[in-house]
Amino acid sequence: MVLATIKIVVLARGLPIYLDSPESFGFVVMVPVTATFTYLLAVFSFGLDGDLGARRSMYPPRLFTRPLTTGELAGLPMLYGTAAMFVLWLVTRLLALWPTGSQVPSLWPALMLASLLAWTQALMWMPYPLPGLRIIVAVLWLGTIDTIAILALHFNARESLMLGILAPQIPLAYLVARFAVARARRGDVPDWRGTLARLTQVADVASQRRQDFRNPARAQAWFEWRRHGRSLPVWVAVLLPFELVLLWVAGDSTSLVFTILLAVLLTPPFVATFAAASVSKSNPSASDSYGVTPFIATRPLTNAELVAAKLKMAVWSTVAAWVLVLIAIALALELSGTSAVVVERWHRFSAVVGDPRAVVLLLLILWGCIASTWTQLVQSLYIGLTGRAALINGSVVLVLGFFVLFGPFAEWIVETRRLGEIWSALPLVFAVLVALKMIAAVWIGVRLYDRRLLSDRALVTGAACWSVAVLALYGLLVWLLDTPHIPHYLLMLLAILSIPLARLSAAPLALAWNRHR
Amino acid sequence: MSEPVISVSELTRRFDSKTALDSVSLSMPHGAVYGLVGANGAGKTTLIKHILGLLRAQSGSVRVFGLDPVADPVGVLSRIGYLSEENDLPGWMRVDELIRYSRAFYPAWDDAYAEELRQSFALEPAAKIKNLSKGQKARAGMLIALSYRPDLLVLDEPSSGLDPIVRRDILGAIIRTIAHEGRTVLFSSHLLEEVEQVADHVTMIDRGKIVLSAPLEDIRESHRVDGRVPSLDEIFVARVGMSAVAPSEE
Repeated sequence: MVLATIKIVVLARGLPIYLDSPESFGFVVMVPVTATFTYLLAVFSFGLDGDLGARRSMYPPRLFTRPLTTGELAGLPMLYGTAAMFVLWLVTRLLALWPTGSQVPSLWPALMLASLLAWTQALMWMPYPLPGLRIIVAVLWLGTIDTIAILALHFNARESLMLGILAPQIPLAYLVARFAVARARRGDVPDWRGTLARLTQVADVASQRRQDFRNPARAQAWFEWRRHGRSLPVWVAVLLPFELVLLWVAGDSTSLVFTILLAVLLTPPFVATFAAASVSKSNPSASDSYGVTPFIATRPLTNAELVAAKLKMAVWSTVAAWVLVLIAIALALELSGTSAVVVERWHRFSAVVGDPRAVVLLLLILWGCIASTWTQLVQSLYIGLTGRAALINGSVVLVLGFFVLFGPFAEWIVETRRLGEIWSALPLVFAVLVALKMIAAVWIGVRLYDRRLLSDRALVTGAACWSVAVLALYGLLVWLLDTPHIPHYLLMLLAILSIPLARLSAAPLALAWNRHR
Repeated sequence: MSEPVISVSELTRRFDSKTALDSVSLSMPHGAVYGLVGANGAGKTTLIKHILGLLRAQSGSVRVFGLDPVADPVGVLSRIGYLSEENDLPGWMRVDELIRYSRAFYPAWDDAYAEELRQSFALEPAAKIKNLSKGQKARAGMLIALSYRPDLLVLDEPSSGLDPIVRRDILGAIIRTIAHEGRTVLFSSHLLEEVEQVADHVTMIDRGKIVLSAPLEDIRESHRVDGRVPSLDEIFVARVGMSAVAPSEE
């Protein structure tokens, strides 16, 4: 809409806005379309209400009592969803692609979106014989459709061929969805768990082994893991095949291989941004989903212990997601035959900077991605745990506004060649941010001390750990970026800004405000 | 005389323009079954939430076991068993997981007693909470509230989840057992007949004010008319009717 407005109001009629770099195209077109598509996918498949890992259908049982045939129950959400996908593509073409003058196909992307939605609906509404099977089936099937479309694109398939591939998908998905809703409506949930009796026995033994929690903190961390911890690895696992399958298309193209790897490495922090929204909720299905439920509020734990359980869960969640990412990358590189491209680049890079620096830099990038995933999960706790809808929704609007404006702003900086000015102003900007961070940290520390939300020892230990982390990062940065172009004080400011402090420390305050209203 | 289990003094709470509690004062001794009765919206749950530390006193004070439940949630909550009116047990947990999770918080958790309760409540260990009926969920909540034999049991409208047989037999028996062991029960309900069966002491609350608080026997005796002892229902209607036209006597 911003682009279309600029096109209509500011620029002369007929003058296109150039989106020649993939980054600009991504920010302006792909990010909003993908976000809207994902949201519509969740809404029209009733995925926001259901349990993805459960055996029973995710179709809301309350709708089964409506005076509608099973065909209508399956068909109407599919019809509305398909219409929404066509509107989404139409709006994208009109508002985003038209002002840029890009040459894009007219119909098949809409059909692709609608097909993916229709199959998602069918697979979500189907009852399954085993818990978790829905996720596996959905990933495999949707991944297959996606791969076929990507391969067709790779070989420059004509629009008519794309339509030929995609058009039958919707009626096929409808038939499957109708079958699924019919089974769900009569309460028919197949059960294969009996045939897995041996495995169940093994699971029971494992369950017996972890019968007792050593202390309340461990029990609460387990609670948080079960409640929120699995969503990040599950979503990362769902997205990885779609991204890594592109390695088979990339071939020997070094830039394409590294672009795909970069996208994969950015996936966990990106998904964590969305997963974080649920981490602060104690019960998303409760009517007041932001407040602390009485069940959690009456746990004999301090506010700091409740927050600590969330932080610990975020660590496990991050580790699980990254184990998946690293294994998947290694497998995909090996199986797709693109590992040679990466190895060759690695040798060239280490020859330039030296082996130790290359290894440390790689580890630092990896550590940065992992730490950023964890940070994304926990840094909004100080807002979410307040339980105040106005604050939470306000912060979401701010973040979305930032994302919307960031692309055009970055584009403007590059186009107007203001990078030099920005670079010169960086120390001042960093210094102001550091001052704000430290003032906020002191204010929060005083409040934590006054209200006895953290013990003196915890406050001192926390401050000491933060200082050590900052100094370690500073030392590493000085060693890595040993150049006269970057002053050391700038690296110190960067280190201070990189290690979380104020927002994280504010989480117990926010929870106390919510728990004791 | 020992320190009261709950001591509420001049507690006032407002939600926007509505006064939910108006200068409420209350003192609960050890070992009593304390019935908190009132119509829907009278302020029972608000008072209980203050006792649990889920609401911070805007004015006045709340002490439980001599502690401020907001300042020391662990000290207070580790000695309270609570059954919520909202029945908000996590639906994704299985019954055995709920037990395993809950027992970690209470060193005095009694496994044998928990198992006895689980069997008497007919709760399957592998059953998921979300698949339980309303009554079964209340039983599961009761199980985890009772299994560590808390010093204070707080039941907020427990009858909303229990069928009549459970209400009469199990609930009554549990409350009596706890009372005989020297523990204390705070029991809120708008079903006065039920309170009459189990409470030693009754506090009536209406529109945020306590209109009557006394031992049940004293209440009955003081309201005797022509030798007939009226039911708590009749007394409540008379009191609440009076409070609508006259200031509270308490």
